[in-house]
Amino acid sequence: MTRRAYLAVAGVAALIAAGLIGASLVSAKADSKPASPHSSTEAASILAGIPQHGNVLGRQNAPVTLVEFADLQCPYCATWSNTAFPQIVRDYVRPGKVRIVFAGVAFLGPDSERGLRFAFAAGNQGKLWDTTHMLYAQQGAENSGWLSDNVLRELGTTIPGLDAERALRESSTVDRQLAEARGLADRAGVRGTPSFAAGPTNGKLVPVAVSSLDANALRPTLDSYLAG
Amino acid sequence: MNDRRLKFAVAALALIGAGVAGYLTYTRFAHTLIICATGGCETVQNSRYAELLGIPVALLGLASYTFVLGTAFFDNMLARAAGAATALAGVIFGLYLLIVQLVVIDAVCQWCLASDLVLDALAVACLLRLRVGIRVQAAANP
Repeated sequence: MTRRAYLAVAGVAALIAAGLIGASLVSAKADSKPASPHSSTEAASILAGIPQHGNVLGRQNAPVTLVEFADLQCPYCATWSNTAFPQIVRDYVRPGKVRIVFAGVAFLGPDSERGLRFAFAAGNQGKLWDTTHMLYAQQGAENSGWLSDNVLRELGTTIPGLDAERALRESSTVDRQLAEARGLADRAGVRGTPSFAAGPTNGKLVPVAVSSLDANALRPTLDSYLAG
Repeated sequence: MNDRRLKFAVAALALIGAGVAGYLTYTRFAHTLIICATGGCETVQNSRYAELLGIPVALLGLASYTFVLGTAFFDNMLARAAGAATALAGVIFGLYLLIVQLVVIDAVCQWCLASDLVLDALAVACLLRLRVGIRVQAAANP
């Protein structure tokens, strides 16, 4: 009885564990497939006509600044970029109320830094936001090498006006932008992505605690700064 | 250790584990930052292994700890065996997740490690409780 009981418990435990591990492997494999790429025309339509200066999207004299701390490999950042970002751009950036600063951080490893360097280099051509939006849409498994030079070159062909070869060459010379973004993140105490800070342009930026990745989570903060 | 103490140990450990898993579940749904000394918690929580077929692993952990906690309130053999099997499965799955953290994700979450330790102790307590149950049953039905 004793041995049989222990064997039965061990057998059931092994079966449950095998099921969980199998499901985890299947789930992880499914997640590692790149997200369906957004069309470059979609990114272009979201950003069309909005000024881009380096890592800043929107009018330089917009009364409110929103800083987005993000890692290009972070799935939540991709969710935010694909869902909330277009709404924030439509309702706040396009009318000139808010400008968004992309403070990219490389929390998740070498692919994050490679993508970040390319994005900042694309920013020298006024195409950082097109680049990040497209990279999020094609996000692959963490540090799987999905952000290769070839992928970045190919990306260049889908973003009108972006010279990908030049961006790749310049990606090793964007240390200052990387350090500035890192400094902003450190000062804001950022420990996870996406995180946000907001405040009057050229004024004090205050971290924004968001309860969800919905655009509505940021609206009260932006509205209060715009009203104040 | 007598059965009453073992019951208490199972309940206490399951409560601690539920606390850890509950905290991770909360941070996942609230998108808040995780208090983390190892620096790898966000990486692990954002990885593709943090969900199992769309269900957060932390939520599964919370459900499992709550289930084992429930078994502590019953003295029959089925409850003892179910508690032990669940805790043992948790130990094996926790070991798999630890290997994933070290080898695949290359980051370690302190809360996951804490949960692993609680699970190990919980499995031992549940197995001891099962042993007591088997002995009592054997004595009652010689």
